[in-house]
Amino acid sequence: MSMKRRDEFDRRAWLAEQDLTHLEEVYLRGLMFLDRRFRLVDYLEVMEDMYYKINLQLPKSHTEQYNLDNKFWYWYPLYSLGLLTLLAYIVAAVTGALLGFYYAPSVAGDPADAYSQMLFIMGDLDFGFMLRSIHRWAAQFMVAAVFLHMLRVYFTGAYKEPRELNWIIGVILLVLTIGFGFTGYLLPWNQLSFWAGQIGIEMALTTPIIGEWVDELIFGGSEPGQPTLMRMYILHVFFLPFIVTALIAIHIGIVWMQGIAEPH
Amino acid sequence: MTDETDQTRTDGGGQPALPPDDKTPTWHERKARKDGLARLTYEYFERGRLEDQRLRQESDYIERDVLGFPTWPHETIRNLSIGSFFVGMIILLAATLPPHFGDEGDPSVTPEVILPDWYLYPAFGVLQLDPINPSLALLGGDKLVSDELYGVVATGVLVGVLVVYPFVNKGAARRPVEEPFWAAVGMVGLSFGFTISVLSIDQLVADRMTGMTAPLVFDLTFIAPVVIGVVTYAVLRAMREGYMYELNRRYYRLRPPR
Repeated sequence: MSMKRRDEFDRRAWLAEQDLTHLEEVYLRGLMFLDRRFRLVDYLEVMEDMYYKINLQLPKSHTEQYNLDNKFWYWYPLYSLGLLTLLAYIVAAVTGALLGFYYAPSVAGDPADAYSQMLFIMGDLDFGFMLRSIHRWAAQFMVAAVFLHMLRVYFTGAYKEPRELNWIIGVILLVLTIGFGFTGYLLPWNQLSFWAGQIGIEMALTTPIIGEWVDELIFGGSEPGQPTLMRMYILHVFFLPFIVTALIAIHIGIVWMQGIAEPH
Repeated sequence: MTDETDQTRTDGGGQPALPPDDKTPTWHERKARKDGLARLTYEYFERGRLEDQRLRQESDYIERDVLGFPTWPHETIRNLSIGSFFVGMIILLAATLPPHFGDEGDPSVTPEVILPDWYLYPAFGVLQLDPINPSLALLGGDKLVSDELYGVVATGVLVGVLVVYPFVNKGAARRPVEEPFWAAVGMVGLSFGFTISVLSIDQLVADRMTGMTAPLVFDLTFIAPVVIGVVTYAVLRAMREGYMYELNRRYYRLRPPR
């Protein structure tokens, strides 16, 4: 018995006798490479099953069942508010990532680094003002679209069984979106940011029993300062993006599984 | 011979310990042999699957591969056009109305107007509800909870109401006309969200609008939503009566009363 590993299914010989175009051969070689390492064949059935579940077994929509398509189209903008929220989120994410290259979450110096970096972005950086402007407007649009999306869901009764859990995820997303807005509002470290932070700290401190602990955790002190700015920055660029992106994926995944609730 | 094969052999010889092909348990048998919670789960899903199958066989519903409004190209083009219009609006507004940028944050200078972004106005307005924060005579007119805590609690209650809402309002009704009461509740909530935002800037409103005073703004914060709710309820009830009239007329035209 030789020590050389044998290919039980002789893939090379099989490939040699196929009459393939160049593209097909490259594709097959890639597939083989992955299959020999990860045994894709084992997961083929799962993937096939998923494909058919997603693409071919969607339930007949109410719109179609009652032939509402002709009456339905002018309501459509209201039904696209969720998509618009996602788009605004993507625009804000892209511009935010670019802004992150130039922003510094620090109150050291006079004026504070955060503030002077904002001045640099808005004054000297090419397209910096535009970037910040787009980021801010995308945030405004996202919050507005979230609110309107919630109203649409409320007034068309789309939160009802079986969609209660998605409604609750939506409420959580609404709160987190506002959190996104608040943390972002504090970052430029101008007068409005500073005093908004002051109010946030006062509200946290008045909570009984856990107030001081919550304040220390979220704002890092009884007055806005370096710890506050750092915490807001990390919440804004690390925690919230992860949590919100994951929740949006789940939210949209559930809509995909359950279908859109058309008006009766 | 059979005795030999049934016995467990320790020397590793003889028949392999695999069951013969015809004795290998099938998937169903393997599942069915389980007990406890696994068994319960299996029975539950198996019952559901069979029920599904039975319903499919009994229905005259034709199963097709493609259902509904096609994703490509109809849905995709519709979404692309709406989406690009929306992103275009963001860029247009960003170019024409750039954000304001104030002075550097300074703990020693309190600005005249402290305001968060517009979407926090409702939460900010709740902080102005101190006139209705109950004060206790027992405590010598002191308030039970501070105004800020009152604001935090009120915000928490509002979010809590939103969370439990689907478990309170059940039923298959979807259109506001079908449920005038709940639609009116929604309108009260919506308009209260608006009026309480206005309350957070009551001083500005009182200064800018003639005939407005801060106490009047405070009263309107609670009166306006109720009025709007009542009007919504009345309008939707009237619409429902209209629908019923139409339905009845069609019904009696088809089946005239004897």
